[in-house]
Amino acid sequence: MNALRGQLELWRLHLAVIVLGVIAELIGIRKIPFGIGAILLLPLLYAFVMAALMNPNVMPKFAKFIRQKEVQAASPLIVIAIMPFIAKFGTTIGPAIETIIEAGPALLLQELGNLGTIVLAFPLAVWGLKMGREAIGATFSIAREPNLAIIADRYTLKSAEGTGVMGVYVLGTLFGTFIFAILASVFASLDVFDPRALAMACGIGSGSMMAACTGALTEVIPGMKDEILALAGASNLLTYATGLYAGLFIALPIVEKLYNATAGKNDLATATKKEV
Amino acid sequence: MSDSVISVKTTRPKIDIADHAFTLIVVCLVGLVMNTVGPAIPIADGFVGMVVIYLISMVGLLLTRYAPFYLPSVAWISLVGIVATLPWTPGSEWIVAQAKSVNFLALATPALAYAGFAIAKKEIEVAKHSGWKLALVACLVFLGTYAGSVLVAELILRLQGV
Repeated sequence: MNALRGQLELWRLHLAVIVLGVIAELIGIRKIPFGIGAILLLPLLYAFVMAALMNPNVMPKFAKFIRQKEVQAASPLIVIAIMPFIAKFGTTIGPAIETIIEAGPALLLQELGNLGTIVLAFPLAVWGLKMGREAIGATFSIAREPNLAIIADRYTLKSAEGTGVMGVYVLGTLFGTFIFAILASVFASLDVFDPRALAMACGIGSGSMMAACTGALTEVIPGMKDEILALAGASNLLTYATGLYAGLFIALPIVEKLYNATAGKNDLATATKKEV
Repeated sequence: MSDSVISVKTTRPKIDIADHAFTLIVVCLVGLVMNTVGPAIPIADGFVGMVVIYLISMVGLLLTRYAPFYLPSVAWISLVGIVATLPWTPGSEWIVAQAKSVNFLALATPALAYAGFAIAKKEIEVAKHSGWKLALVACLVFLGTYAGSVLVAELILRLQGV
């Protein structure tokens, strides 16, 4: 019963999660009017912010209750805490299997939409901000764990490419849920897109970002809650299955070729100049 | 979280099933509190729903550990949840009804609280050193993946006319 003792010794952590979680749930979902739509604030966002403020690494002054021991124990607990959430999403997919099959082609092909990271972010990074090879790691994917593994394997995480992917990974960990809550709120309040398309796009291979994204969507479009959950969950599962391969065989080669064909030439030019 | 970053695992991790079984109970109880407080679902209904969710997660974990081929635990758990609720699975109606008593956002709240507590020194350093350029690029990366998927899905749905 090591596990029992281990978790009991972590009572501070679990108690803090319960207290902050209850506060977050009591505050509830809030709408902030923004332009033509509204930005949705969700309990999961408050819970994250409050926990971060109690984290000794973020707020050394305030943080007395939570120690480094709890911080280290919290990391593997995220994975376990997301499991019931993933199970719940699974149970929304089964009953909606006909909706999923009907939307099958869109569901499959929208995975290619993840290459939008390259379309939007690569030009800015390389031509706008004159970034070096960091741009390759930063823009080929949304930098979740499988994508880290790809870069770690090919370039190591200490390389320039590794710096790029790690930066986006950490920024995503810290701010991804907020960004996706805002993105989904804004896209949904535009009232231009099919809610099914908005839902599928929420499945990006990260449980917490999908939670924020679908949470915002179901608030704006409550009538389609079941369909939204099912399609987002199916798309997320599809990304779990395909994300690694799409990154390795499609996205990374494209970004490398783009970089070598454009900015990489300058790199070579300056390198030869220096040699001369 | 920094540990998982440094040692990115691509091989099948050895899952201690007994350890996970207990930790998952703790996490489910925390989730049940959120489910009762926020969405105000009666605790008796929420409890049965959470038991169902727990069992789905556990079957998924067992498959992650013992299935002849490796898939990440989240993928197995999703698949078990799907198969258990397909219309032609015996008893699926009951499972669906119970799972409806569990709110998905209430389950995400504790996960994000653990995530807030898990922020490591190294991550704060990386975030600080990344600078505004990488922050700007990161925003466009997220916008790009979302907008890209929305546009492709919208186009295909319209072409299909469904």
